[in-house]
Amino acid sequence: MTEHSKQAESTFALRCVINGEAQTIETTASARLLTLIRDELELTGTKRSCDIGRCGACMVLMEGEAVNSCLAMAYQCAGKSITTIEGISKGGFDPIQQAFLEEGGFQCGYCTPGMIVSVKGLLDSNPSPSEDEIAEALSGNICRCTGYGGIRRAVTRAIEGRMLAK
Amino acid sequence: MLLNRENSGSRWRIRPDGAGKVTGGLVYLTDMTAQPMLYGLVLRSEHPHARIISIQTERAKQHKGVHAVLTHRDIPGLNAFGIAHPDQPVLCADTVLYVGDALVAVAAESMELAQEALELVEIEYEVLEILEDPEKALLADAPQLHKGGNAMHRTAFARGDVDEAFKQCAIVVEETYYTPRQMHTYMETEGGLFVPGEDGRLTVYSPTQHGFMDRMQLARILAVSLEQIRIVSSPIGGSFGGKDELNVQPYGALLAIQTGRAIKMHNSRQESVRAGLKRHPMRMAMKTGVDAAGRLLAHQVDILSDTGPYSTLGAEVLNFATEHVIGPYKYENLNVKGISVFTNNGMSGEFRGFGGNQAIFALEGQMDRLAERLGMSPWQFRKLNMRQKEDLGPFDQPIAMTEGAERVWTAVEKSRLWQEKTLLEQSAIAVSTDPWLKIGIGAAFTMHGAGLGVGIPDPAGGRLQLAADGKIEAVFGYEEFGQGLLASLEQMLIEQFGFGAADIRMIIGDTDIVPDSGSTTASRATAMMWKSLQRLKKPFTDQLLKEAGAIMGCQAEELQLREGGIGKQTNDQVLLSYADLASKAIFPISSETSFSFPTSPTERVGAHFMYTYSAVVVKVELNTLTGRVKVLQQYHAVAAGPVINPQGYLGQIEGGSSMALGFTLLEDAVMDKGHYMTRNLDTYLIPTIADQLGLVEVEPIEHLPEQDEYGPRGIGEVGSVTLAPAIAAAVRQASGKWVTKLPIEPEFLQETPFFLTGASGNDRT
Amino acid sequence: MGMNAQGSMAFPQVWHPQTAAEAWHLKQSFGTDSVYVSGGTLLRTQWESGVAAIPKHLIDLSAIRGLGEIRIGETGLVIGGQVSLEACRTHPIIQRHFPIVTEALRQTAAPSIRRLGTIGGNIASNIGDSLPALLGYNAHVVWYNGMEDLQITLSEWLKIAGMLHTERLLLQIQLPFQADETLEGHEVEHLRSVISKTKRFSAYHKVGRREAFTPSVVTASVSGSLSEKKEVNEIRIALGGGQMIAQRLEELERELLGKVIDVQLLRHVYNRIMQLYKPREDLFASVSYRKTTAAHLIASELWKAAHQ
Repeated sequence: MTEHSKQAESTFALRCVINGEAQTIETTASARLLTLIRDELELTGTKRSCDIGRCGACMVLMEGEAVNSCLAMAYQCAGKSITTIEGISKGGFDPIQQAFLEEGGFQCGYCTPGMIVSVKGLLDSNPSPSEDEIAEALSGNICRCTGYGGIRRAVTRAIEGRMLAK
Repeated sequence: MLLNRENSGSRWRIRPDGAGKVTGGLVYLTDMTAQPMLYGLVLRSEHPHARIISIQTERAKQHKGVHAVLTHRDIPGLNAFGIAHPDQPVLCADTVLYVGDALVAVAAESMELAQEALELVEIEYEVLEILEDPEKALLADAPQLHKGGNAMHRTAFARGDVDEAFKQCAIVVEETYYTPRQMHTYMETEGGLFVPGEDGRLTVYSPTQHGFMDRMQLARILAVSLEQIRIVSSPIGGSFGGKDELNVQPYGALLAIQTGRAIKMHNSRQESVRAGLKRHPMRMAMKTGVDAAGRLLAHQVDILSDTGPYSTLGAEVLNFATEHVIGPYKYENLNVKGISVFTNNGMSGEFRGFGGNQAIFALEGQMDRLAERLGMSPWQFRKLNMRQKEDLGPFDQPIAMTEGAERVWTAVEKSRLWQEKTLLEQSAIAVSTDPWLKIGIGAAFTMHGAGLGVGIPDPAGGRLQLAADGKIEAVFGYEEFGQGLLASLEQMLIEQFGFGAADIRMIIGDTDIVPDSGSTTASRATAMMWKSLQRLKKPFTDQLLKEAGAIMGCQAEELQLREGGIGKQTNDQVLLSYADLASKAIFPISSETSFSFPTSPTERVGAHFMYTYSAVVVKVELNTLTGRVKVLQQYHAVAAGPVINPQGYLGQIEGGSSMALGFTLLEDAVMDKGHYMTRNLDTYLIPTIADQLGLVEVEPIEHLPEQDEYGPRGIGEVGSVTLAPAIAAAVRQASGKWVTKLPIEPEFLQETPFFLTGASGNDRT
Repeated sequence: MGMNAQGSMAFPQVWHPQTAAEAWHLKQSFGTDSVYVSGGTLLRTQWESGVAAIPKHLIDLSAIRGLGEIRIGETGLVIGGQVSLEACRTHPIIQRHFPIVTEALRQTAAPSIRRLGTIGGNIASNIGDSLPALLGYNAHVVWYNGMEDLQITLSEWLKIAGMLHTERLLLQIQLPFQADETLEGHEVEHLRSVISKTKRFSAYHKVGRREAFTPSVVTASVSGSLSEKKEVNEIRIALGGGQMIAQRLEELERELLGKVIDVQLLRHVYNRIMQLYKPREDLFASVSYRKTTAAHLIASELWKAAHQ
C-alpha cells in the first residue's frame, strides 16, 4: 500500500470555505456535510428532511452549484467553497429572496432555503432559463405546501429582477 | 376576477413570517438545541401484531452515555393518548398492534449512542395473526384488536326507502371506489426540544395544531397539573392534520422529566413514515338512481374505512365522510352506512380534507356516470339536483345559507376551460402531433364543511391588548404551519382597525400566554380570528380611544385609530402614538373574547353549519402508450366568503390541489403484511415542480347574503378535495374509461396504438 | 425490518487510492468489509433503507488519476468513470454526437444528485438510467481485473454483471463515433444524407412514476437508420428499468435489418419485445405493464421514423 492510500483515519480535519470563511472541522471522513453544517457550525437554515437526497431541503452550493448536503461526505468537501442559505443572505436579501417574498413562493418555509439555494445555483449559471430548464433545476426540491405555483412566479420575478439590477 | 397579484393590488402583502423563511433565519422547533442536552429515540415494534413476552433493558441502560431507558413501567400517569379517545399506548406493555407502536424510549449523550442503546434492548415477541384487510377484520373469527371489537365506529343516515325507490328509477349506477393511504409528507418531520425548568415545570417546544390539547394529554400521561406544562408549538414546517395528534411529545416529556435534562428529538423520515398518521384508505360502494328526467331518487352508500390500530380521530373522519358522500345534492331516498375498522396497518387519522377527499371522489364519480347514462351534460345534471340556497344540509340540518353552490356552478359553466370541453367533444380542435396523446376535460363540484361539527367542543376566541411598549398585541391560540395564519391576522388588523404593520405584535402558539382558541384545524382558524376581531373591534377601539381622549383632553368620539397612533377625525395626523398611549394610560387596555364555532341546531353529531363550495375544471393529457396522465390546466371556483389574504388564499388552493394531484396520480403508502413498503421519499413520491407545470387559475367568489354574520368560510382544505373526481372525469373523456381506484394506475389506461392495429394515425387526431 | 434507522450512524473509514491497482488491492484486503465509492449517492439510499449495511471501509475512486475527464480518443469519446453525471449531461460533444445519452442523463435523478453521482457509478449499479442510451451507441467499458485494463462492450459487461459486479473496477466508458462522424461538421452529414437518402433516428424514453426525479419503470432507447424505402439499415434497441439489468435486444435487431417498416413489422417488434424483454416486477408496476410500455415506445419510435 502506498503513502497515498493510507489516508484513512478515524478522524478527519475538513478544511473548506463555508460562506466565505475558511473552516477546519474535526470530524470523520464519511460524516455528512448536513450534520456538520447544522450541528457543528449551528447553521440551521439548511434543513434535514429525508436524509437520502430526495427532497432538497438540505441543498447547499458547492463551488456555486447546488448539491444535497445529506449526501455529500466530509472528504468530498475538502478544499471546496460551500455556501449555505445564511451565506446567500449575508448582504441583505438576494433578489431571489426578494422575489420569493413578493410572490409568496413559500408557505411553511421548511423547503424554502433549499429551494432558494437551487434557484441561486441555476440563475448564476443560466440567467434566463426556460420553463423546462427551471423545472429540471428545481426537480430535486420538493415542496409540499405551495403546489409550486408561487415558486414558479418567484423564479420568473427573480429572473426579471436580476436583469434589471444589471 | 381571477385571484393573482395583479388583481389584488395593495392587498397582496409580504408575509410577516417571510423574511425568516427566505433567509433560513427562522428557528424551527426542530432546529433548537440546549446545553447540556440529550438525544431521545424511540424503539418501535418489529411486528405489526404481537404479544410482548419480555422487554430487557439492562444492557441498554449500561451502555455508555445513556441516561434513561424507559418502558411502560416508567409512566407516572395514563399510559395512553388520543385526541378523541385515548387508546394508543405511550409505551406498549403487553401487545403491539402496528409497526409504529413504541416500546422503549432512550436518552443518551449523542444520537449515535442513543441508537446503539436501542439496539441493545431485547424484546421477545409472540407473533400474532395480522389483520391487514378491514373487511376480514370484521369477520366473526378475526382476532379482536380492542375490547370493544374491531368495529371502531359506525355511522348511518337514512331517509325514505331506497329499495323501493330503486325500483322506480329509470337508471341506476352501481360502483365501488377505492382511495389510497396518502401520507401528509410535511417537510419537517416530527420533533422538538423538551426542557425541564428549575421551577419544576416542563417546556415543550414541539409542533402541534392545538397546544392546549397537547398540554392536557401530556399532563394526563405525566400525572402533573396543566400548569406544570408549557407548550410552545409554532412555527411548524408543515402539518396538514398530521401533527394534530401527539407524536414524539410523550417520549421527549418523559425523558426530560426522568433525566432532568433537555431532550432533543427529531424523527428520521423513515420513523416518521412508520409511526405517523396517514389518510384513511376507504372503500365506498355506491348505488344511485335517477328518474327519466334525471332527478336523483335514491342514493345508497356503504363506506369501509381502514383506521389502523388506534382511534385518534378515526370516528370523526368517518362522520365527515358520511356527510360528504351525501354532499351538495338532494335525494328523495337515502341510505348511508359507514364503518371504521381497526387493523394492524399504519395509523390513519386527521388529514386535510378529513374524509371529504375520499367521499367526494366517489360521489362525483356517481354523478358523472349518471349524467352520461342519461345523455345529459354532467354539469346540467348537477344543476338539476343541487341543493338550493334555502335547502337544508346533507343531514337535513339547518346550515348557514349562501348562494355558493349556484355561483361556483355558474362560474364553471362560463369558464373558458369548460367551453373547451364542448369543442373537444365536437372534435373541433386539433389535439397533438403525437396521435397517441389524448386530451380530456372534466369537472367536479363540492360543498365542504368547516369546523368540527355538532357534538365536538369547538371553542374559539382571542385577545387584543396594548403592550407596555406600545405594540398592539393580538394574542391567539392558533398555530402557524405555513398556511399564512399570521399574514391573515396581520392583514385583518390593518384593514379592520387601521393599524400599521409596525404597530402590531402577534403572539400565538404558547400555552403560557395565549387563550385557548381551539384547534387550528378543519379550515376554521381564519374564520374564528375574523369573528374574534369583529367581536373585539368595538370594545378594544373604545378603550383605546377613551384612554387617548382622557390623555389628549378631548372626546373619544372625535378620535380614530391610525397607523402609528391616534389622531382626530378632522385631519390625518397622528397626535398620540401607541407608545405614548401605553406609557400614559392609567388602566390596562385589553379585550378578550371567547365563543364557540357556530354549529347547526341539530342533534346529529358531526353535522356542519358553515360550508365552502368549490367547483373545479381540469384538462389532462393521456399518453395511451404509457397510460400516464398529465394535468395540463386547472380552474377552481371557490365560494368561501371574503378573501382575507389574497396571497394566502391562492396558495391554499394551489397547494391543496397539488396534494390532490398526488392523491389522484401518484401517492400511496403501500403496506404489505402490516409493514410499510414506501419508507422514504425515494419510493413514496409526491409531486415535483415538473408534475405541476400546468396553469392553475383560482376564482374566488366572495358574495355572501346581506345578513350573513359569519364572514370568511374556510379555504384550508377545499382546494384538496375536488380535483380527484375532476381528473377522473377528464380521463373518461380522454380514454373512455371510468376510474374507480386511486391513484390511477397507468396500466389501466394503456391502449393498443393504431400503428399496431392498422388504423390510420390521422383518424385518431 | 431492521432497527429504527436514524440516519446513518456508523462512520466507515475512507481510503483514497491514487491508482486502480491500489484500489484493487484495498478491495482485496478488506473484502466484503469494503465497497468502492464514487459519488456515494446510491450507496446512501441503500444504507438508509437497510438494503446494504454500512461497510467498515469506503474505497474512494475519485482520486484515481485520469478518471475524472472526458477526452477524444482514437476511435471515440472516452469518459472517465469518475466524471459526474451532470458534467456528462451538459458536455457539448456528448450532446452533439450522443444526444440520447444527454437525454437519458437529463432524466436521471435531479441535477444536485447528478453533481455528486458519477457515470461510472450509474453503470456499475447495473440499473442506471444511462445504460440503454449508452447501449444504443455500442459503448465499451474499460475495467481493471487486478492485473491489467480490459476492454469489453458494455453489452457484454452487463451480461456478466450478476457474477462479478462488486469485484470489477470500472475505469472508463468509450463511445465510438459513427464512421462518418470522424469527418468534420454538418456539411458532410448533409451530403451523406442527400446521397444515400437515409434517415437517421434515435430516441430515449424513461417512464417513471412521476414527471421528474423518479425511479424508472421502463427505460428504452432505439437508434438506427432507414433507407428511402423505409428499410431498416441499422438498428439498436436497448431496454432497462426498475431493478432489471439493462439489455440490448440483438436478436430482434437482426430480425429487423433490411425489412420495411409497416404494420406487420411493427407488430413483430411489439410481439418480440413482449417475449425478449425481461423486466422485474415490483410493488409499483407489473411485468406486463413494463413489457407493453416498452413495446409501445419502441414501436412508436419506428412508426415515427417511417412516417414523420
